[in-house]
Amino acid sequence: MTALLTFDAVEKRYGDTAALDGVSLTVDAGNVHCLVGPNGSGKSTLIRVALGLTRPSGGTVERPDEALGCGFQRPTFYPDLTVAENLDVFARITGADPGDWFDDALSRLRLDREHDRLAGDLSGGFAKKLDVALALQKEPRLLVLDEPMSDVDDVSRAELVALLDDYVTDERAALVSTHRLDEFGPVLDHLTVVESGRVLVDERAADLAESDLDPDSLQRSYVDLVAAGSDD
Amino acid sequence: MRRLRSLLRKEVRWSRHNLATLVLLLLVLPGGFVYTTTAFDQVIPRDSPVAVVPASEQVSDDDLDIATAAVTLFSEPRQYEDSEAGIEALRREQVYAVLEVPPDLTDETATANFTFYVDGSIVPYHEASEAIVSVLDYPLQRTLPADVSVEREVVGPEHSLSEYLVPVGLLLVVLLFAFAYVPYNLANERRVLDRLEVEASLEAVVASKLLFFGSLLVVPMAVVHLMSLWLGYANTGIAPAAVLAYLLTFFGLAALSTAIMLLFRFGVVGRFVNIVVLFGLLAFSNTIYPAGFFSPVRREIARLSPLHYSTIVARSSMLKGMTVWDFLDWFAALAVVTLGAFVLLELSIVRYRRVR
Repeated sequence: MTALLTFDAVEKRYGDTAALDGVSLTVDAGNVHCLVGPNGSGKSTLIRVALGLTRPSGGTVERPDEALGCGFQRPTFYPDLTVAENLDVFARITGADPGDWFDDALSRLRLDREHDRLAGDLSGGFAKKLDVALALQKEPRLLVLDEPMSDVDDVSRAELVALLDDYVTDERAALVSTHRLDEFGPVLDHLTVVESGRVLVDERAADLAESDLDPDSLQRSYVDLVAAGSDD
Repeated sequence: MRRLRSLLRKEVRWSRHNLATLVLLLLVLPGGFVYTTTAFDQVIPRDSPVAVVPASEQVSDDDLDIATAAVTLFSEPRQYEDSEAGIEALRREQVYAVLEVPPDLTDETATANFTFYVDGSIVPYHEASEAIVSVLDYPLQRTLPADVSVEREVVGPEHSLSEYLVPVGLLLVVLLFAFAYVPYNLANERRVLDRLEVEASLEAVVASKLLFFGSLLVVPMAVVHLMSLWLGYANTGIAPAAVLAYLLTFFGLAALSTAIMLLFRFGVVGRFVNIVVLFGLLAFSNTIYPAGFFSPVRREIARLSPLHYSTIVARSSMLKGMTVWDFLDWFAALAVVTLGAFVLLELSIVRYRRVR
């Protein structure tokens, strides 16, 4: 398998606080790689390091040469432009020339009906979907999404997971941070659990049975695992 | 009453988190404003630099020294080699008048005709110079044995105050654009900066903004040009040197204001720091009133500000038809300062990347 993203003993410190403390993980092509952990566990820092927005204090990060597709925790686009204008502006910036598949993706995310709406006026869910659409637009090999499901309605959540499953082929991968493992269960290829900047579990989905997690009740066992770690 | 008290308490807590902003707004800004008013305590300038030049080769050092001593009563005399050098300094607002000294001042039989040249474009100095000529006439008549007369002569077209204010007004638009609109626009889009950093770079984002807003300045320049024509103002059209001065000023100051916003991570403090810098530049660069009206210290402070030079270049090119070639040295200095502002901007971007 081709590694599209590799973290080797990555550290990120803010003063005395370690946001990432020796994190090592690999995102392989063909995988939907979920990153899960409670608030403040270091997920977003890890995502920002992966995107090159935060410089690690130590360790090494290897990324693909071409730019990644990025979806942010707080939707990131021009609020004073419409949805269509945002898509056009970023297509020009990135040199993206998305084909029919992208129109189909917009339709699946129900974003096509919001084309002429100012992005700043979008509801939380639609704002998130636009953010994901902007990440997808240039067909990156590695898609990095920070909590893409937050604020998204239930119908669109299922569609988003299906879209992700369709998008990730043998040549592509997605690193997705989330609080809701159960939503990604059907498409999950690899899982990394982080807590207090450290990796608690880093397993292929097929090997989860050998870890401290229960594959049949992922969400529950993940919560128990983190809670047990906190008690210690 | 309980709700009002709770809300007031909230405001107190808010002010604790925004102490720096409040100090700037409530202490520094009004304090600075009151201080700058002290600069306007003179109606007739007493320390303006005035060139003292010989009218001909026959003028002796003693003649020049006598005239210089008389000029000291109302201004700061500066001796120049000849009239041409004095007039050149007058055109560049290095001096506000040129006193041409005739020869044989100590000869009882001679007639000493002094000429006091003033620039037609420095309108605030017009009436003051008339008063100064009268003041100058008196000590010269009293101390010199020769028959003395002082004649005031205006160099270049004599403009009205309205015409004088046209280049100043345009400069204020440039300042507002650079210090208020550009940083506001960038701050408004700060949430998109992460995506832009991944897809392009912060440098490209800032460069596109400066280029776009810089090119928009063509609009107010054209409006000023057309309005001046419509109002029948003499020689107040936009000249190439003025366009270059305004653009260099805009790029330099917009780079500075953007750097400030990045250094303060788009916080409210950054906006107020920009306002304070804007007021400081306006107060200490003598953009509205000529520097010659202020104390020597204030004048020297003004001459440290690039804005002082761009004001003079814009005014001189629009009111006197002076060209880029007349100010090559100043343009080179302005370009260096603008470049320095861009270096500061790049450093602020590097820091922003580290601390965001």
